[in-house]
Amino acid sequence: MKHEEVNYFKRFKRWKMIIIFLIFALAFAISLSVAVGQMQISLSNTWEIIIKNIPFLGDFVNNGFSKTEEVIIMSVRLPRAIAAVIVGAALAVAGVVLQGLFRNPMADPYLLGISSGAALGAAVAIGFGIRISLAGIFDSIQLMAFAGALITVFAVYNIAKKGPKVPMLTVLLAGIAVTSFLSAMISVIMITLGESLHSLIFWLFGTLNGIKWSDVMVSLPLVMIGLFVIMIFSRQLNIMLLGEDEAQRLGVDTERLKKIMLIFATLITATVVSISGIIGFIGLVVPHITRNLVGPDHRILMPASALAGAIIVVLCDMMARIAIQPAEAPVGVLTAFFGAPFFLYLLRKKKGMGV
Amino acid sequence: MVRLKINGIDCFYGSIKVLENIAFSVEGGEIVGILGPNGSGKTTLLKSISRILKPKVGTVLLDDVDIYVMKAIDLAKNLAVVPQDTNVTFDFTALDLVLMGRNPYIGLLERETEKDLAIAKKAMELTNIWHLVDRKVSELSGGERQRVVIARALAQEPRVLLLDEPTSHLDINYQIEIMDLLKELCKERKLIILAVFHDFNLAARYCDSAILLNEGRIVFIGPIDTVLTDENIEKVFHINAIVKRHPITNSLYVVPLCTSELKSVQPRALKVHMISGGGTGASLMRILLEHGYKISAGVLNVLDTDYEVACTLGIPVVSDAPFSSITEEAHKANLNKIVNANVVILSDAPFGRGNLKNLGAAMMALEKGITTIVVEEKPIQERDFTGGYAQASYMELRRRGAIFVESYDQILPILEELEDKQEIVRKV
Repeated sequence: MKHEEVNYFKRFKRWKMIIIFLIFALAFAISLSVAVGQMQISLSNTWEIIIKNIPFLGDFVNNGFSKTEEVIIMSVRLPRAIAAVIVGAALAVAGVVLQGLFRNPMADPYLLGISSGAALGAAVAIGFGIRISLAGIFDSIQLMAFAGALITVFAVYNIAKKGPKVPMLTVLLAGIAVTSFLSAMISVIMITLGESLHSLIFWLFGTLNGIKWSDVMVSLPLVMIGLFVIMIFSRQLNIMLLGEDEAQRLGVDTERLKKIMLIFATLITATVVSISGIIGFIGLVVPHITRNLVGPDHRILMPASALAGAIIVVLCDMMARIAIQPAEAPVGVLTAFFGAPFFLYLLRKKKGMGV
Repeated sequence: MVRLKINGIDCFYGSIKVLENIAFSVEGGEIVGILGPNGSGKTTLLKSISRILKPKVGTVLLDDVDIYVMKAIDLAKNLAVVPQDTNVTFDFTALDLVLMGRNPYIGLLERETEKDLAIAKKAMELTNIWHLVDRKVSELSGGERQRVVIARALAQEPRVLLLDEPTSHLDINYQIEIMDLLKELCKERKLIILAVFHDFNLAARYCDSAILLNEGRIVFIGPIDTVLTDENIEKVFHINAIVKRHPITNSLYVVPLCTSELKSVQPRALKVHMISGGGTGASLMRILLEHGYKISAGVLNVLDTDYEVACTLGIPVVSDAPFSSITEEAHKANLNKIVNANVVILSDAPFGRGNLKNLGAAMMALEKGITTIVVEEKPIQERDFTGGYAQASYMELRRRGAIFVESYDQILPILEELEDKQEIVRKV
């Protein structure tokens, strides 16, 4: 009898081990991604450069690397890799949240119209040559995409709202309808675009090209806050999987939970979309992969998905940079290229993937 | 003691009124059954009591506090619900699911403690599923899953337990086991148990009182034996039923006979006399009655199942004292009935010296030219306790032109054919 009790509490230890393992894997993926590129830098040099730039630790490292290498890593590749981490973590967790809320394994972070809203914002910014900026950090595409995403989700949410309640099925259908409406508008703008069409298409596929430290510095805290709040409610999201009525009867304030989850999932998704464009498949596939590995409990599924999503986007971005040198592929093409077949494989392997 | 008071509630789905002026109150230690036909509002009533469907009119008070004012988490500490169906399509284990019942007691940033685990374990032991602890819920059978959900409700340590057909997926042994457990908990912990039942007999055995719903209104409410009467059942379910007290369990039991609509079926011209015994004619009597035939029966011993059924169905019977041979007097009375009938049906009853006269009666029917149908689902050799007399009589019956059938199912078509013929004869 004591046996099962020990077994149950063992899972918390196992979860810790999983997280630690994934953190190491992520660190390795980052250093690999930072070292690889048109100019190859050895892994040891890479680590030396990174550690040297950490305050206090830096004094203990020898300078066995060139200044060029340091500049490439510190101002080009590292911010880009960190951005990939933020993007991957945010999209994966937003995917977990939406799949859980909708109790539907096909849900993804773009379901509520975030992608089309952001895309419309970006298209307007590019198409009409709007030049606004905030504090000199954000360009107009980022601001317009962020605003477009938030406005769209706000609209979808309020269209679906019925009195004090927000029926999830109506949210889903409203999201689909609004998405196709906005897509039509984007198409109209795209037709009228001349030379700038190329940059919009690149943005629509999702790319981390040209990421600066300032992008990281702004998106990181927003995503961290979002992830933190979402993870606080992960145990309640487990119960939500039983359906709203049952969750309520087990003491979950379902309307509040839905609101919080939708707000913060939207916040983190809109944030990363505004710096990276629309990177597909991460929010759909990563939750599945992780669920297969660690089980359905959101308390482990959330952090594990965040780390797995980060690892995958970091590696995909690395491949995007080196796949068709000297040109660069949009990272969203890579994630779809690998994500779609893998998703089909999972579909075949486990018929009717349970959430 | 915990007290639940429903104060004249009206509930709506959209603009459709599904509950009207429901009012009652329950105290701890009571099991209350909610009975009523499909669509009468039973599940809706549970929904409104569990804070899912807010009544437009009226209040639901738990210890004088309106549950719609309470927080979900506070209500969950006091009231648990076992729904009709739980759709668990993901890979949580049975223990995971039961531990979800502890949710109201676990803070946002906390996780389950050893105390929570101990309570979950206790609940699983009570419902006899501790051995399933690590099994995935999606792989359990319907009955096992239902017991997991009951354990989850118990893990909430509620004072009010609402159950929507708690035993619908359970095998008979688990039905009894779970209901016994609920009854025990109810008395021990002074719980209020409100349960929707489809099975009258289960309700009769375990409920202290019951609420009979029809079309969203309370038709009758009170102690179970005042609610479960043939009148109430006829009124709400439109069926004829017998309500009796079971000699062993001393609880009421309900035997549904036939729908009352069928009773008003077109009466038929054919009169049928049945010779049966030992329960072999009981179901046929009911079927014939439902099809509108006029029936008589005899000779049957008092206390014989067929005799009891005939009496409850209102069929005229020629009877004799229990466990005794048929007297000459009864035999004559039986022959009188036979002469008045158009068809005689001889069931495959066992024959001993005591009822051998009944075979003579069948023989006489043939002599008078009355169509005689002999049923032999069970061959006479296996039910002849007369040392061969009965078998000889059967051969004689066959020789004289009795219609032998192998199954009771063949009787109705034969009767219909006979009726058609009679119709023609009468017209000519």
